[in-house]
Amino acid sequence: MPIELRVNGRERTVDAEPDTPLLWVLRDELGLKGTKFGCGIGQCGACTVHVSGEALRSCSTPVEAVADREITTIEGMVDANGALHPVQQAWIEHNVPQCGYCQSGQIMAAAALLGRNPSPDDETITAVMSGNLCRCGTYPRIHAAIRSLRESGEAAGEQSS
Amino acid sequence: MKLSRREFIKAGGTGSGALVIGLTLPGCSRSGGPRITEDGSWTPNAWLVLDGSGDVTFTLDRVEMGQGTYTGLTTLVAEELDVHPESVRIIFAPVGDAYANPEYILQVTGGSTSLATSWERLRKAGAGARALLVKAAAEVWQVEPGDIRTDEGALYHPDGTQTMAYSDVVELAARQRMPDEIPLKLPENFRYIGRHDKRLDAYAKVTGRAVYGLDVERPDMVYAVVSRPPRVGAKVDAVDDSAALAQKGVVDVFTIERGVAVVADSYWHARKAQEKLRIEWDERDAFRGDHESIFQDYRKAADDSRGDTERSNGNARSVLRRADRVFTAEYEAPFLAHATMEPQNCTAEVTARGLEIWAPTQAPDIARIAAARVTAFSPGDIEVHTTFLGGGFGRRLTQEYVEEAAAIAEKLDRPVKLIWSREEDIRHDMYRPGMLHRFQASLNGEGIEAWDHQITGPLIFDYFARNAAATQYPWVPRFLYDTMARVGRLTEGTFLTPKDHSAIEGAVEVPYGAPNILVRHTQADAGVPISYWRAVGHSHNGFAVETFMDELAHEAGVDPVEFRLRHLTDKPRHRAVLEKVAEAADWKGSMNEDHARGVAVHWSFGSYVAQIVEASIENQRILVHRVSCAIDCGQIVNPDIVRMQMESGINFGLSAALHGRIDWDEGRVRQSNFHDYRLLQQDESPAMDIVLVDSEEDPSGVGEPGLPPVIPALGNALFALTGKRQRSTPFVADPGETS
Ligand code: FES
Ligand code: FES
Repeated sequence: MPIELRVNGRERTVDAEPDTPLLWVLRDELGLKGTKFGCGIGQCGACTVHVSGEALRSCSTPVEAVADREITTIEGMVDANGALHPVQQAWIEHNVPQCGYCQSGQIMAAAALLGRNPSPDDETITAVMSGNLCRCGTYPRIHAAIRSLRESGEAAGEQSS
Repeated sequence: MKLSRREFIKAGGTGSGALVIGLTLPGCSRSGGPRITEDGSWTPNAWLVLDGSGDVTFTLDRVEMGQGTYTGLTTLVAEELDVHPESVRIIFAPVGDAYANPEYILQVTGGSTSLATSWERLRKAGAGARALLVKAAAEVWQVEPGDIRTDEGALYHPDGTQTMAYSDVVELAARQRMPDEIPLKLPENFRYIGRHDKRLDAYAKVTGRAVYGLDVERPDMVYAVVSRPPRVGAKVDAVDDSAALAQKGVVDVFTIERGVAVVADSYWHARKAQEKLRIEWDERDAFRGDHESIFQDYRKAADDSRGDTERSNGNARSVLRRADRVFTAEYEAPFLAHATMEPQNCTAEVTARGLEIWAPTQAPDIARIAAARVTAFSPGDIEVHTTFLGGGFGRRLTQEYVEEAAAIAEKLDRPVKLIWSREEDIRHDMYRPGMLHRFQASLNGEGIEAWDHQITGPLIFDYFARNAAATQYPWVPRFLYDTMARVGRLTEGTFLTPKDHSAIEGAVEVPYGAPNILVRHTQADAGVPISYWRAVGHSHNGFAVETFMDELAHEAGVDPVEFRLRHLTDKPRHRAVLEKVAEAADWKGSMNEDHARGVAVHWSFGSYVAQIVEASIENQRILVHRVSCAIDCGQIVNPDIVRMQMESGINFGLSAALHGRIDWDEGRVRQSNFHDYRLLQQDESPAMDIVLVDSEEDPSGVGEPGLPPVIPALGNALFALTGKRQRSTPFVADPGETS
């Protein structure tokens, strides 16, 4: 069944059953492989994307539920000129990624948090980011990278193009 | 690890005028030097190619799974070649003799060996290339090579005005003779080693562009899932696939050695069809035990057999028999899953040339044998492409997912990607073995007089050898693969097969001075598949040894740091990390009165790590507030990667200490996903301070050594807090009365 989607600012039509998880549509129908599969049941956050600016777990979101909404994936965080989103920049500066597999999801969760609340306190950062698992244990750096954005007061808006 | 005398750094050229640097192993290479073949692909022993366009390409022969080889090994080459590490193009190595890990004679990334084994060879490769470039420039300029300076890919004439890019002279350099002696830089002249602090893979990983196994894409690809036996040892008896085959998008359903494969045009279609499969399993020989029954068997084995003596100083048995007081303790370490964030997967395709495999594997050469084992292809017809790994931790040393994908691809006429669900990953892992530890000790005043440590549990090599043994002899016919594994076992300890230390490592090296020390291993194996898990034997021996040491310190009435130091008089590197961490954590200093501290020190993979954990218990919940850590890992190539690996090892260890346990319900694994096999999360991650100890020694491991001490250090902190000993993991707020 054809479904209309708006992904990273582009209109896309996909042929999928309405109950197919958004994750597999993004990865295998649209070729956006930056969004990862970790658990499939909403427990790890590796599949986090933005829907209308809010963080959402694409593995447990049926594609029909997000038709006509603005979807942003990690690929959409880089602007048209190739400039990284401030969260991505902070991730590099703090040497956050190890294996890197969870980091698309971590970055999307962090960007959504900062988009909603540009100056989250430490407890808020911890609480919000606790839903995103990292087997490599990069938590101290994730926390520090988000704090640096707060303290430097950099804008944390979405840069999808 | 020194460059072995049989290895030579060799140079060669290509038709297009590139300079190629590689390693020659006499007996392996027929052609002498490395080169690029007609079609532009590599001979499988090249490390470094400099071409006329200015590109420097480095073949990374240790996989990147988070531990930092992508950055660390590239830095070694870049340092001696005098190019910026960020300017180097990095590709993942194919299977090739020259890429084998000299520690194992297998192309394996594991055992925290990458930097140690590459430290000299890769610097020599970079230095060799530089030497040839300088010789070529000297010829052009008609000056002494020693007067030419190099920097960031350029050559500087001694007159200070003329310069040339490396790319200007690569063709001429390829025709120079490699000097017999390749001098390496002195540490004080390093520009990148010890200074370059950024990860070269960070950009790819924050933009979602890094390609993991799960991201491999082939034209016209289909997707496969496999239903595996619900109990170890069960076999497929009968399959009713009519409902599954009727599902949308299903291409085929068939039985392979490891289960029943469902192939469909999308992953989701394959999963939905899998739910409709009706499989009857023959479970006559299946495992029906659980954690309790396994440990009961271990206890019986430990009672019945003293086991093999693995270390003996003095006469611990007779001293303990005569001692007035013998302190005893028993510890349990459960089975654990690896739970790499990227679930197991593999893509395979039959082509005109043979079988191609794309896999996130820690051992591409073993993957090749695994694929050959289950197909009609011989190893020479199989090509393995390695991707970025979404975590390794030992999980990807065994190759079940490659066996499955290869067997499935052979039955199809198009490429196929096999994906394991998280549930399948947790339930069909090759686990960290559960182990039982028993101690007896006697004290002489405040010193240890006798120490007897009995370790009971299985050996990992029995499971690993299946494909690994055959990998060392890739020319043997397929029907001999299992024989090779058995021969491997029979010849253990000889030159053919190194001794399996997996059960005893970290116990036989107990560093504490005592006149009578006995360490023994009693074999007991439940038949549950096991494998290497981050820090391997050190993960449980570190827990057992350092907890018992703490118990003895308590019995002796001596401060736990002081008690350890007194038994480390001739162990300067242990002492140094212990003293440093005590200072960093302000061991004797005041803290919140509801908190307590615990300490542990452990050597593993050549490195010395001491940690102090500060913890509390609130509302029946164990809270870890701070972990201080001091590490001595020899010379440091990338300081921030060492810090990252300590943080990673600490949080991995805390996952085990607070949550990790695999158990069974009559042989069926109980845990299935992250809700019941929990990983540490952001709100449980402690503050950390990491102290790097200066050292002139050769570099040693960092990927694993951060893990072993944190488990006992936390348990010891909880004892200091509650007076109750934590003798099994995961720890609980109230372990009950212990004596
Ligand atoms: S894959 Fe979606 S939350 Fe884990
Ligand atoms: S960086 Fe490996 S799982 Fe997070």
